[in-house]
Amino acid sequence: MRIIVIGGAGLPEQVAAALHKAGDEVTVIDTDPDREAALVKVGLRAVRGNAAAPSTLEAAGALRADVLVACTRSDEDNLVVSLVAKKHFDVPRVVARVNDPANEGLFDRSWGVDAVVSPLSALISIIHQAT
Amino acid sequence: MQVVIMGCGRTGSALATGCEAEGDQVSVIDVDETVRNHLPRGFGGRFVAGNGITPRVLEEAGIAHAEAFVALTPNDNANTVAARVAREVFRVPRVLARLYDPAHAPVYSEFGIVTVGSVQTTVNRVVQLLHHSTLEPHQTFGNGETLLVRSRVPDYLAGRGVLEFNVPGEIQVVELSRAGHSRIPEHSTPLEGGDIVSFIVAARSLDRLRSFLDGGSS
Repeated sequence: MRIIVIGGAGLPEQVAAALHKAGDEVTVIDTDPDREAALVKVGLRAVRGNAAAPSTLEAAGALRADVLVACTRSDEDNLVVSLVAKKHFDVPRVVARVNDPANEGLFDRSWGVDAVVSPLSALISIIHQAT
Repeated sequence: MQVVIMGCGRTGSALATGCEAEGDQVSVIDVDETVRNHLPRGFGGRFVAGNGITPRVLEEAGIAHAEAFVALTPNDNANTVAARVAREVFRVPRVLARLYDPAHAPVYSEFGIVTVGSVQTTVNRVVQLLHHSTLEPHQTFGNGETLLVRSRVPDYLAGRGVLEFNVPGEIQVVELSRAGHSRIPEHSTPLEGGDIVSFIVAARSLDRLRSFLDGGSS
Protein backbone atom coordinates (compact mmCIF):
# COMPACT_ATOMS: atom_id res chain seq x y z
CA MET A 1 0.00 0.00 0.00
CA ARG A 2 1.01 3.60 -0.52
CA ILE A 3 0.99 5.33 2.86
CA ILE A 4 1.74 8.92 3.90
CA VAL A 5 2.69 9.50 7.53
CA ILE A 6 2.63 13.05 8.95
CA GLY A 7 4.84 13.86 11.90
CA GLY A 8 8.39 13.82 13.17
CA ALA A 9 10.53 12.00 15.69
CA GLY A 10 8.89 9.49 18.01
CA LEU A 11 5.65 7.71 17.23
CA PRO A 12 5.23 8.95 13.60
CA GLU A 13 8.70 7.78 12.54
CA GLN A 14 8.29 4.49 14.37
CA VAL A 15 4.97 3.89 12.63
CA ALA A 16 6.52 4.77 9.28
CA ALA A 17 9.50 2.46 9.82
CA ALA A 18 7.26 -0.44 10.89
CA LEU A 19 5.01 -0.04 7.85
CA HIS A 20 8.05 0.15 5.58
CA LYS A 21 9.36 -3.10 7.06
CA ALA A 22 5.98 -4.70 6.42
CA GLY A 23 6.43 -3.91 2.72
CA ASP A 24 4.40 -0.72 2.33
CA GLU A 25 5.57 2.23 0.26
CA VAL A 26 5.88 4.95 2.91
CA THR A 27 6.40 8.73 2.62
CA VAL A 28 6.93 10.87 5.73
CA ILE A 29 6.06 14.58 5.86
CA ASP A 30 7.82 16.53 8.57
CA THR A 31 8.80 20.15 9.16
CA ASP A 32 12.14 19.25 10.73
CA PRO A 33 14.99 19.29 8.17
CA ASP A 34 17.30 17.44 10.56
CA ARG A 35 15.21 14.28 10.41
CA GLU A 36 15.26 13.99 6.64
CA ALA A 37 18.63 12.20 6.35
CA ALA A 38 17.72 9.71 9.09
CA LEU A 39 14.46 8.87 7.30
CA VAL A 40 16.08 8.36 3.92
CA LYS A 41 18.74 6.18 5.53
CA VAL A 42 16.18 3.62 6.66
CA GLY A 43 14.57 3.57 3.22
CA LEU A 44 11.71 6.00 3.75
CA ARG A 45 10.74 8.77 1.37
CA ALA A 46 10.87 12.14 3.13
CA VAL A 47 9.10 15.37 2.19
CA ARG A 48 9.77 18.47 4.20
CA GLY A 49 7.05 21.06 4.68
CA ASN A 50 3.75 22.07 6.19
CA ALA A 51 1.44 19.11 5.67
CA ALA A 52 -1.63 21.34 5.82
CA ALA A 53 -0.54 22.91 2.52
CA PRO A 54 -2.02 21.06 -0.48
CA SER A 55 1.26 21.52 -2.39
CA THR A 56 3.16 19.57 0.29
CA LEU A 57 0.62 16.76 0.32
CA GLU A 58 0.72 16.57 -3.45
CA ALA A 59 4.53 16.37 -3.43
CA ALA A 60 4.19 13.46 -1.01
CA GLY A 61 1.93 11.64 -3.46
CA ALA A 62 -1.46 12.32 -1.86
CA LEU A 63 -3.25 11.84 -5.19
CA ARG A 64 -2.18 8.19 -5.32
CA ALA A 65 -2.05 7.36 -1.61
CA ASP A 66 -4.19 4.58 -0.14
CA VAL A 67 -3.80 5.70 3.46
CA LEU A 68 -2.79 8.90 5.26
CA VAL A 69 -1.80 8.83 8.92
CA ALA A 70 -1.98 12.25 10.65
CA CYS A 71 0.24 11.46 13.58
CA THR A 72 1.71 14.73 14.91
CA ARG A 73 1.68 15.75 18.55
CA SER A 74 -0.77 18.54 17.77
CA ASP A 75 -4.48 17.75 17.57
CA GLU A 76 -5.25 20.88 15.55
CA ASP A 77 -2.57 19.99 12.99
CA ASN A 78 -3.90 16.43 12.68
CA LEU A 79 -7.47 17.69 12.13
CA VAL A 80 -6.53 20.24 9.47
CA VAL A 81 -4.30 17.78 7.59
CA SER A 82 -7.03 15.11 7.69
CA LEU A 83 -9.60 17.50 6.25
CA VAL A 84 -7.29 18.72 3.49
CA ALA A 85 -6.31 15.14 2.61
CA LYS A 86 -9.94 14.08 2.32
CA LYS A 87 -11.35 17.20 0.65
CA HIS A 88 -8.52 17.95 -1.78
CA PHE A 89 -7.15 14.50 -2.50
CA ASP A 90 -9.95 12.14 -1.56
CA VAL A 91 -7.48 9.83 0.23
CA PRO A 92 -9.49 6.60 0.77
CA ARG A 93 -8.46 6.02 4.38
CA VAL A 94 -7.45 8.80 6.77
CA VAL A 95 -6.21 7.77 10.20
CA ALA A 96 -5.63 10.45 12.83
CA ARG A 97 -3.93 10.47 16.21
CA VAL A 98 -5.62 12.10 19.20
CA ASN A 99 -3.19 13.52 21.74
CA ASP A 100 -5.58 15.01 24.29
CA PRO A 101 -8.41 12.53 25.01
CA ALA A 102 -10.66 15.57 25.65
CA ASN A 103 -10.49 16.24 21.88
CA GLU A 104 -11.45 12.71 20.86
CA GLY A 105 -15.03 13.70 20.06
CA LEU A 106 -13.83 16.06 17.33
CA PHE A 107 -12.14 13.35 15.29
CA ASP A 108 -14.90 12.19 12.96
CA ARG A 109 -16.02 12.26 9.33
CA SER A 110 -16.72 15.99 9.50
CA TRP A 111 -12.93 16.41 9.65
CA GLY A 112 -12.26 13.76 7.02
CA VAL A 113 -11.14 11.24 9.66
CA ASP A 114 -12.03 7.58 8.98
CA ALA A 115 -10.28 6.04 12.00
CA VAL A 116 -8.98 7.47 15.27
CA VAL A 117 -6.00 6.34 17.33
CA SER A 118 -5.64 7.65 20.87
CA PRO A 119 -2.41 6.26 22.35
CA LEU A 120 -3.16 7.74 25.77
CA SER A 121 -6.73 6.40 25.94
CA ALA A 122 -5.52 2.99 24.78
CA LEU A 123 -2.84 2.91 27.45
CA ILE A 124 -5.22 3.98 30.20
CA SER A 125 -7.85 1.42 29.26
CA ILE A 126 -5.23 -1.34 29.25
CA ILE A 127 -4.03 -0.24 32.69
CA HIS A 128 -7.61 -0.29 33.98
CA GLN A 129 -8.22 -3.75 32.53
CA ALA A 130 -5.05 -5.08 34.12
CA THR A 131 -5.89 -3.97 37.65
CA MET B 1 -22.96 40.69 23.64
CA GLN B 2 -21.13 37.64 24.97
CA VAL B 3 -17.74 37.27 23.29
CA VAL B 4 -15.19 34.46 23.57
CA ILE B 5 -11.63 35.32 22.52
CA MET B 6 -8.99 32.64 21.98
CA GLY B 7 -5.44 33.90 22.45
CA CYS B 8 -4.40 36.39 25.12
CA GLY B 9 -1.37 37.98 23.44
CA ARG B 10 -1.16 41.62 22.41
CA THR B 11 -4.11 41.50 20.06
CA GLY B 12 -6.31 39.21 22.15
CA SER B 13 -5.88 41.15 25.36
CA ALA B 14 -6.40 44.49 23.57
CA LEU B 15 -9.55 43.16 21.89
CA ALA B 16 -10.83 41.83 25.22
CA THR B 17 -10.31 45.25 26.77
CA GLY B 18 -11.99 46.98 23.84
CA CYS B 19 -15.00 44.66 23.89
CA GLU B 20 -15.43 45.10 27.61
CA ALA B 21 -15.39 48.87 27.14
CA GLU B 22 -18.24 48.40 24.65
CA GLY B 23 -20.20 46.61 27.35
CA ASP B 24 -19.60 43.05 26.15
CA GLN B 25 -19.21 40.09 28.48
CA VAL B 26 -15.80 38.72 27.57
CA SER B 27 -14.04 35.39 28.16
CA VAL B 28 -10.44 34.87 27.11
CA ILE B 29 -8.87 31.46 26.49
CA ASP B 30 -5.13 30.79 26.33
CA VAL B 31 -3.00 27.65 26.69
CA ASP B 32 -0.53 29.67 28.73
CA GLU B 33 -1.84 30.56 32.17
CA THR B 34 0.86 33.22 32.68
CA VAL B 35 -0.44 35.49 29.89
CA ARG B 36 -3.48 36.25 32.03
CA ASN B 37 -1.48 39.27 33.22
CA HIS B 38 -1.75 40.80 29.72
CA LEU B 39 -5.30 41.67 30.71
CA PRO B 40 -5.64 45.00 32.47
CA ARG B 41 -6.11 45.25 36.20
CA GLY B 42 -9.81 45.36 36.91
CA PHE B 43 -10.71 43.33 33.82
CA GLY B 44 -14.16 42.02 34.63
CA GLY B 45 -14.24 39.11 32.20
CA ARG B 46 -13.21 35.52 32.62
CA PHE B 47 -9.85 33.87 31.82
CA VAL B 48 -9.79 30.16 31.01
CA ALA B 49 -6.50 28.25 30.72
CA GLY B 50 -6.56 25.58 28.01
CA ASN B 51 -6.53 24.82 24.30
CA GLY B 52 -9.44 26.59 22.60
CA ILE B 53 -10.04 23.69 20.21
CA THR B 54 -11.09 21.47 23.14
CA PRO B 55 -14.90 21.50 23.55
CA ARG B 56 -14.68 21.33 27.34
CA VAL B 57 -12.44 24.42 27.41
CA LEU B 58 -14.79 26.31 25.09
CA GLU B 59 -17.74 25.36 27.30
CA GLU B 60 -15.94 26.62 30.37
CA ALA B 61 -15.50 29.94 28.57
CA GLY B 62 -19.25 30.14 28.00
CA ILE B 63 -19.31 29.27 24.30
CA ALA B 64 -22.83 27.83 24.60
CA HIS B 65 -24.24 31.34 25.06
CA ALA B 66 -21.65 33.28 23.05
CA GLU B 67 -22.73 35.48 20.18
CA ALA B 68 -19.20 35.85 18.87
CA PHE B 69 -15.98 33.83 18.84
CA VAL B 70 -12.64 35.26 17.73
CA ALA B 71 -9.52 33.08 17.36
CA LEU B 72 -6.32 35.14 17.57
CA THR B 73 -3.52 32.75 18.51
CA PRO B 74 -0.28 32.68 16.46
CA ASN B 75 -1.20 29.14 15.33
CA ASP B 76 -3.26 29.19 12.12
CA ASN B 77 -4.34 25.56 12.44
CA ALA B 78 -5.49 26.04 16.03
CA ASN B 79 -7.42 29.18 15.03
CA THR B 80 -9.11 27.40 12.14
CA VAL B 81 -10.04 24.28 14.09
CA ALA B 82 -11.37 26.27 17.07
CA ALA B 83 -13.35 28.56 14.77
CA ARG B 84 -14.91 25.61 12.98
CA VAL B 85 -15.77 23.90 16.28
CA ALA B 86 -17.33 27.14 17.58
CA ARG B 87 -19.47 27.42 14.47
CA GLU B 88 -20.35 23.79 13.70
CA VAL B 89 -20.60 22.30 17.21
CA PHE B 90 -21.71 25.29 19.28
CA ARG B 91 -23.54 27.24 16.55
CA VAL B 92 -21.93 30.57 17.45
CA PRO B 93 -23.43 33.10 15.02
CA ARG B 94 -20.33 35.24 14.49
CA VAL B 95 -16.96 33.54 14.12
CA LEU B 96 -13.64 35.07 13.02
CA ALA B 97 -10.14 33.62 12.81
CA ARG B 98 -6.84 35.38 12.32
CA LEU B 99 -4.34 33.93 9.87
CA TYR B 100 -0.64 34.64 9.67
CA ASP B 101 0.28 32.68 6.56
CA PRO B 102 -1.42 34.20 3.50
CA ALA B 103 -0.23 31.29 1.35
CA HIS B 104 -2.61 28.98 3.17
CA ALA B 105 -5.56 31.32 3.37
CA PRO B 106 -7.38 29.68 0.41
CA VAL B 107 -7.42 26.33 2.23
CA TYR B 108 -8.90 27.84 5.35
CA SER B 109 -11.53 29.80 3.47
CA GLU B 110 -12.82 26.44 2.16
CA PHE B 111 -13.62 25.60 5.76
CA GLY B 112 -16.20 28.37 5.62
CA ILE B 113 -14.46 30.50 8.23
CA VAL B 114 -14.20 34.27 7.88
CA THR B 115 -10.51 35.03 8.23
CA VAL B 116 -8.56 38.16 9.03
CA GLY B 117 -5.08 38.00 7.54
CA SER B 118 -2.96 40.17 9.81
CA VAL B 119 0.12 39.84 7.62
CA GLN B 120 -1.79 40.41 4.37
CA THR B 121 -3.61 43.42 5.82
CA THR B 122 -0.34 44.99 6.95
CA VAL B 123 1.39 44.28 3.63
CA ASN B 124 -1.46 45.77 1.59
CA ARG B 125 -1.54 48.87 3.77
CA VAL B 126 2.22 49.44 3.71
CA VAL B 127 2.47 48.92 -0.06
CA GLN B 128 -0.35 51.34 -0.55
CA LEU B 129 1.22 53.98 1.73
CA LEU B 130 4.61 53.59 0.02
CA HIS B 131 3.38 53.76 -3.54
CA HIS B 132 -0.03 55.36 -3.63
CA SER B 133 0.04 58.15 -1.09
CA THR B 134 -1.97 60.32 -3.49
CA LEU B 135 -4.77 57.77 -3.52
CA GLU B 136 -5.61 57.64 0.15
CA PRO B 137 -8.41 55.09 0.65
CA HIS B 138 -11.61 56.12 2.38
CA GLN B 139 -12.44 52.54 3.12
CA THR B 140 -10.84 49.13 2.65
CA PHE B 141 -12.72 45.86 2.29
CA GLY B 142 -11.84 42.29 3.26
CA ASN B 143 -8.16 42.17 4.03
CA GLY B 144 -7.40 45.22 1.93
CA GLU B 145 -7.82 43.53 -1.45
CA THR B 146 -10.39 46.13 -2.50
CA LEU B 147 -10.46 49.83 -1.66
CA LEU B 148 -12.70 52.84 -2.00
CA VAL B 149 -10.63 55.81 -3.13
CA ARG B 150 -11.58 59.37 -4.10
CA SER B 151 -9.59 61.56 -6.41
CA ARG B 152 -9.81 64.96 -8.01
CA VAL B 153 -10.07 64.73 -11.77
CA PRO B 154 -7.25 66.55 -13.61
CA ASP B 155 -8.31 69.25 -16.07
CA TYR B 156 -6.97 67.46 -19.13
CA LEU B 157 -9.61 64.74 -18.66
CA ALA B 158 -12.51 67.26 -18.95
CA GLY B 159 -15.02 66.16 -21.55
CA ARG B 160 -14.20 62.45 -21.28
CA GLY B 161 -16.94 60.08 -20.15
CA VAL B 162 -16.59 59.36 -16.46
CA LEU B 163 -17.25 55.65 -16.95
CA GLU B 164 -14.23 55.40 -19.26
CA PHE B 165 -12.25 54.74 -16.06
CA ASN B 166 -14.04 51.42 -15.57
CA VAL B 167 -11.95 48.29 -16.06
CA PRO B 168 -13.89 45.07 -15.40
CA GLY B 169 -12.63 43.36 -12.26
CA GLU B 170 -10.21 46.17 -11.50
CA ILE B 171 -11.69 49.66 -11.38
CA GLN B 172 -15.30 50.76 -10.98
CA VAL B 173 -16.53 54.35 -10.79
CA VAL B 174 -19.26 54.59 -8.15
CA GLU B 175 -19.81 58.27 -7.42
CA LEU B 176 -19.11 61.75 -8.71
CA SER B 177 -19.10 65.01 -6.73
CA ARG B 178 -19.33 68.32 -8.55
CA ALA B 179 -19.65 71.68 -6.85
CA GLY B 180 -20.64 70.06 -3.57
CA HIS B 181 -23.34 67.85 -5.07
CA SER B 182 -22.93 64.09 -5.24
CA ARG B 183 -24.47 61.78 -7.80
CA ILE B 184 -24.17 58.30 -9.22
CA PRO B 185 -22.81 58.91 -12.71
CA GLU B 186 -24.37 57.54 -15.88
CA HIS B 187 -22.74 56.55 -19.13
CA SER B 188 -23.28 59.91 -20.70
CA THR B 189 -21.96 61.97 -17.80
CA PRO B 190 -18.94 63.96 -19.09
CA LEU B 191 -16.19 64.93 -16.66
CA GLU B 192 -15.39 68.51 -15.73
CA GLY B 193 -12.12 69.73 -14.28
CA GLY B 194 -12.36 69.77 -10.48
CA ASP B 195 -14.81 66.88 -10.27
CA ILE B 196 -14.13 64.43 -7.45
CA VAL B 197 -14.71 60.81 -8.40
CA SER B 198 -15.06 57.80 -6.07
CA PHE B 199 -13.63 54.52 -7.33
CA ILE B 200 -13.80 50.97 -6.07
CA VAL B 201 -10.42 49.60 -7.03
CA ALA B 202 -8.56 46.32 -6.57
CA ALA B 203 -5.38 46.85 -4.53
CA ARG B 204 -3.32 45.35 -7.34
CA SER B 205 -4.81 47.87 -9.82
CA LEU B 206 -3.97 51.04 -7.89
CA ASP B 207 -1.01 51.64 -10.18
CA ARG B 208 -3.26 51.47 -13.19
CA LEU B 209 -5.75 53.94 -11.73
CA ARG B 210 -2.94 56.29 -10.78
CA SER B 211 -1.52 56.17 -14.29
CA PHE B 212 -4.98 57.11 -15.66
CA LEU B 213 -5.16 60.09 -13.32
CA ASP B 214 -1.56 61.17 -13.83
CA GLY B 215 -1.92 61.00 -17.58
CA GLY B 216 0.57 58.17 -17.81
CA SER B 217 0.11 55.50 -20.42
CA SER B 218 -2.33 52.78 -19.45
